[in-house]
Amino acid sequence: MSSKYHFVVRRVHSLLGLLPIGIFLAFHLTLNILATNSPERYEKVINTMRETPGIFLVELVIIFLPILFHAAYGLIVVYGGGVNTLRYQYFRNWYYLLQRITGIITLIFVAFHVFTLRVDGATAQATVTALTDFVKTPFGLVFYVVGVLSAIFHFANGLWAFLITWGITIGPRSQKVSTWVCSGVFVILAAVALKTLAQLLA
Amino acid sequence: MSNVIELRIKRQDGPGQPSSWETFKIPYRPKLNVISVLMEIQQNPVNAAGKRTTPVVWECNCLEEVCGACTMNINGQARQACTALIDQLKQPIVLEPLRKFPLVRDLMVDRTVMFDNLKKVRAWIPIDGTYDLGAGPRMAEAKRQWAYELSKCMTCGCCTESCPQFNARSKFMGPAAISQVRLFNAHPTGEMNKHERLEVLLEEGGIADCGNAQNCVRACPKGIPLTTSLADLNREANKFAVDRWLRK
Repeated sequence: MSSKYHFVVRRVHSLLGLLPIGIFLAFHLTLNILATNSPERYEKVINTMRETPGIFLVELVIIFLPILFHAAYGLIVVYGGGVNTLRYQYFRNWYYLLQRITGIITLIFVAFHVFTLRVDGATAQATVTALTDFVKTPFGLVFYVVGVLSAIFHFANGLWAFLITWGITIGPRSQKVSTWVCSGVFVILAAVALKTLAQLLA
Repeated sequence: MSNVIELRIKRQDGPGQPSSWETFKIPYRPKLNVISVLMEIQQNPVNAAGKRTTPVVWECNCLEEVCGACTMNINGQARQACTALIDQLKQPIVLEPLRKFPLVRDLMVDRTVMFDNLKKVRAWIPIDGTYDLGAGPRMAEAKRQWAYELSKCMTCGCCTESCPQFNARSKFMGPAAISQVRLFNAHPTGEMNKHERLEVLLEEGGIADCGNAQNCVRACPKGIPLTTSLADLNREANKFAVDRWLRK
């Protein structure tokens, strides 16, 4: 990446992680729990979205392209990083490494997730059935639990870094508070995701 | 405490040469530091096997943790050998050169890149003119005291050594040089050239390449608030970049 655009590319990478990707993740997980609680309402929401004119373009611009850019540039970031967690065993250094590992897991997970479930023309019910069948296999369950938790960790910890990157949390105290807040985000979203998976299995 | 001091030292005769570990045993005396033990080896370069060897090469200068010359990895982490007291270290004491800089010999490395980065960010205050420019603006005492903490940086390399983003695959200049931007931008005269330093921070290897692993602030022997400097300059760099773009 040429020097002239380096800063803006890095900042766009950071921004996209929250807007729209992080927000989409939160929305997606909320919608999922809705699906297991009330299939009719879920079906309605899905159908409304599908019938929205230009939904393909919206999905492309708001979801697909940002994720593609964030993932592709993220791989460059991972390449430029290093691992020294055994020498410097600080919690933030472990999180630095985890952020990169979960990023790669999330990329694999999302690619598989979209490839297998985003089948055009299939009804919402058929998608849920396909997913339920998959997570009922031991491999499928582990794959989904690890994949979803990785995505949520990557988002929550990314949010912590976002606040630093954008110059919001500057001092050690505010960064400590934001660690707790982001941990809360992780716990809430993880609870929602795991409850949804548990309900699929029930 | 046993009556010997055991050291494992990573030896390498020069760049590109094979490296190997050599063990030394030095008679114990109280209140030694790593430098004085290395001096013992220099006087009598015999390893633990009783074999005569070459004296271990290292650098030191001030011996009071203000120059940074004797920085090396001691038991896995970068610190100054002069303030690494034998009585407080776990044995065998493992000495390795800093890994992020080109090796010269044994424990001696070439930290030129640290100084190149200081030049890159213009970590100085230009006061030369063709005539007497007179006295500069005054600095508030409270601000001077605050800035003094940042000025304690001795360019030792502990922060870059601990930083996972500072490596051969990345151009990241490391926390030390970036924190100096904050110091010189805070100075009333230095502030006049603020834009020049911020411009450099926007380039590849600058502030955006920080990965927030936050090892630097813990590794810094001078207790410089490096992560606060980085976050503060994130804010400054963002404002500067937006402002520069809007004025184009």
